[in-house]
Amino acid sequence: MSAKQDNSPNRIDTKRLTLYALLVAAAMVFSYIESLVPLFFIAPGVKIGLANAVSLLLAAKGRYKGAFAVNISRILLSALLFGSAVSLVFSLSGGIVSLIVTVLLHKTKLFGIVGISIAGAVTHNLVQLAAAVLFFGGGVLYYAPVLVVSGIVCGLALGTLDFVIIKKIKTNL
Amino acid sequence: MKWRDFYIIAAALLIAAVFLCLFPGSGGKTVTVKQNNETVYTGSLYTDKEVKLDGNTLVIKDGVCFMKSAECKNKVCVHTGKISKKGESIICLPNRIIAQIE
Repeated sequence: MSAKQDNSPNRIDTKRLTLYALLVAAAMVFSYIESLVPLFFIAPGVKIGLANAVSLLLAAKGRYKGAFAVNISRILLSALLFGSAVSLVFSLSGGIVSLIVTVLLHKTKLFGIVGISIAGAVTHNLVQLAAAVLFFGGGVLYYAPVLVVSGIVCGLALGTLDFVIIKKIKTNL
Repeated sequence: MKWRDFYIIAAALLIAAVFLCLFPGSGGKTVTVKQNNETVYTGSLYTDKEVKLDGNTLVIKDGVCFMKSAECKNKVCVHTGKISKKGESIICLPNRIIAQIE
């Protein structure tokens, strides 16, 4: 977006800027849809994390910067519109650290998108738990196994979703 | 899905197992303390805490909760002893305190 002309592959052109804006919007809609289908009856705090399917898709396509940009924008916008300062801390810490893990695992080229997705989801939940420890003390740690297992299940679902999307929709992100 | 992905699942399950061994909490029990009908403290039964109330001191430690001291004549709340089960409560009428496990 800088004024100087640059033709590097990292350059954001108008088409990509628009596409990423659309992806941020899609991620926010996913967050909203998800809030309509509460999974609290399984265990408190459990979410599918549909919005993370968007950043995972970008990361899986090798668009690491785009993944971070879209994810952070989505988190900040959601927090401004629907959240609070505390929810922002939780979302941002979980979102950024899990995306770092996602990107690093993708760079190793050892794992498939489903495995990467699971690792990201589990990391997300554990980082949020760590944030919860800062707020509420170590008593919440007994909840870790529930969060890890729900991370595996949700990561599996999101990874499969993105696997299908990548296979069916041949597009450049 | 690559077969290596199962390593990630296995690693995650291992983390879950380690946490399960380290923190075998028996559920999300919380203590809610009310004085004069106002909630003055809410926290996990597994978060050790000494709650100073107006007149009384409530202790939450290792999954149990008890009234350590009370400034009243009968000390019914102190004699209630340790509570740990859902629905149990310690009540101090003179100082209008209710500590309940939820």
